Amino acid sequence: MTAEAAPAPRPAPDRSPGLRLLFALEAGRAAVFGRMPKSLTPYVFLLPAALLIGLLVAGMAYMVDQSFRELDRATFRLAEEWSLGNYATILDRLVYWKIIGRTVLAAVVVTAGALVLALPYAYAMVRTDSARVRKALLIGLFLPFFIGQVVRAYGWLIVLGNQGLVNATLGAVGIEPVKIIYTYPAVLIGLVQYMLPFAVLMLAPAVTAIPREVELASQSLGARWPSTLRHVILPMAKPGLVAAGVVVFTLTITDFAMPEIMGGGSNDFIASAIYDGFFAVADAGLGSALAVILVMLASLLVGVIFSLVGVGTLGYRQRRAA
Amino acid sequence: MSGSRSLKLTVWALVWFDLIFLAVPTVIILIASFTASEIIRFPPEGLSLRWYESILVEGGFREAFWRSFVVSVICTALAVPIGTLAAIALARYRLAFATTIQIYLLLPFTIPLIVSGLGLMLVFGEARVLGNLWPVGVATCAINIPFMIWSVGSSVNALDPDLEHAAANCGAPPLLTFATVTLPAVAPGVITGALLMFILAFNEFIVSLMLVDARIVTLPVLIYNSIRSVITPDLAAVSVVYILVAFIAIRVLDRLVGLEIFLKSR
Repeated sequence: MTAEAAPAPRPAPDRSPGLRLLFALEAGRAAVFGRMPKSLTPYVFLLPAALLIGLLVAGMAYMVDQSFRELDRATFRLAEEWSLGNYATILDRLVYWKIIGRTVLAAVVVTAGALVLALPYAYAMVRTDSARVRKALLIGLFLPFFIGQVVRAYGWLIVLGNQGLVNATLGAVGIEPVKIIYTYPAVLIGLVQYMLPFAVLMLAPAVTAIPREVELASQSLGARWPSTLRHVILPMAKPGLVAAGVVVFTLTITDFAMPEIMGGGSNDFIASAIYDGFFAVADAGLGSALAVILVMLASLLVGVIFSLVGVGTLGYRQRRAA
Repeated sequence: MSGSRSLKLTVWALVWFDLIFLAVPTVIILIASFTASEIIRFPPEGLSLRWYESILVEGGFREAFWRSFVVSVICTALAVPIGTLAAIALARYRLAFATTIQIYLLLPFTIPLIVSGLGLMLVFGEARVLGNLWPVGVATCAINIPFMIWSVGSSVNALDPDLEHAAANCGAPPLLTFATVTLPAVAPGVITGALLMFILAFNEFIVSLMLVDARIVTLPVLIYNSIRSVITPDLAAVSVVYILVAFIAIRVLDRLVGLEIFLKSR
């Protein structure tokens, strides 16, 4: 662009095709949005994303509506009028309490396991002096991260199956095969492995933010590493630990594929019960009510986590950004 | 904390455990895919490429692969403009109700996937568009769009607003400024986000499970359906496709923006 360009740009003959296209697009933009006040620009930018996410909100609204309609066993249609019948049915049945308990317990165990395993990995990856080691650790992390749950669960089936790697190895040294696959621990192993990359990726920036000098200072004041870990690393990595914990917790409590594939039908999570509500017993009302319970339970527990360890972490970030 | 030998030992012992733990399913799938026998056994009885041959000959997996590819392309093509615009709006403008807008944009992460999937099944069912592939692409885009916004957002913050003002001062109209100054500056974020969106859509399982029928089954759903019966080595060969795609994506990401950007503290 030359400095003396006119306010209303006109394509000059010597412009490249790309530039000419841009000017044509600009003319189109000016024709459509030219008279719009400038202050509306960001809202126009946000509109497509809002509409896209609106699809999910609409779906959620459908399910909330259905959750208040009981299935009429005579016609196999959902009732016209609203009631709390589906919720009462769920709270009344021990099997649903069992499923909810199993799911929440798994989420707690998996979150703890993933955080314990993720912290040293994130620490080593950030602190290593060798660029090649760092790259290797990053690739070791991203390769499983980019492979979906179904494929990874299939891998675990081969490892933990009755004639799988573990049992073949045990058999070779003369130990009776153990049943691992289709048990609760198998589901937990699969879930921790699935969540580990998420946890490391959420933790790494927090570890990066800890200045090495603070660690050295605590060391030169005579602290041994376990107390440096407890009094320096853990408090300073707290924003990352909370973020990673919340992500792993919510992903686990809502998981479907791992308990379905690794649990063999007897270790269902809430998501499986919702799915069965819709497709096995064809009671969309009951399934929807379970879905609403899952959403409320997940939000409630995340709220509890925040109130226990403090939302202060979020405030901290905002203050720094400001 | 550095320097102490017992610390180094502890950290690296755990790191090696993590590395093996992370790699086990992938490595075992690679080995199993070269099995010569009808079922997977350890140690494997002979090596062969027969299962790779069989998935190429058998049309089901090939078609499912292409359907997943189409879904991922639709998802990425939607996510790039939608996510880029939203990220720029969030990072560069003063918005009324900014917190509310941010919470709304994070809804795809807070609504459980099973609920999103069933909800979209109801919405698309009501619109009578189920049975096509494009709603699956739209759905995978909707559930993962925060990744795109986050990727672009982290590079918008690095862009110097004065550059845009300079372009405008020199007479560049808004769209020209956008295309020649803003976009190149956020390109690393756009590339990272696009790659994430593609990979996530290619692997997407649960929402697809709700939206596909037998005629338009995608690759993860087909693998899931096949797992239910006997564990045969052909699934291992199909899974290797995913390992290869993941590997290519990592190479591309590393070449274009460097994996290290994920370590940066924001």
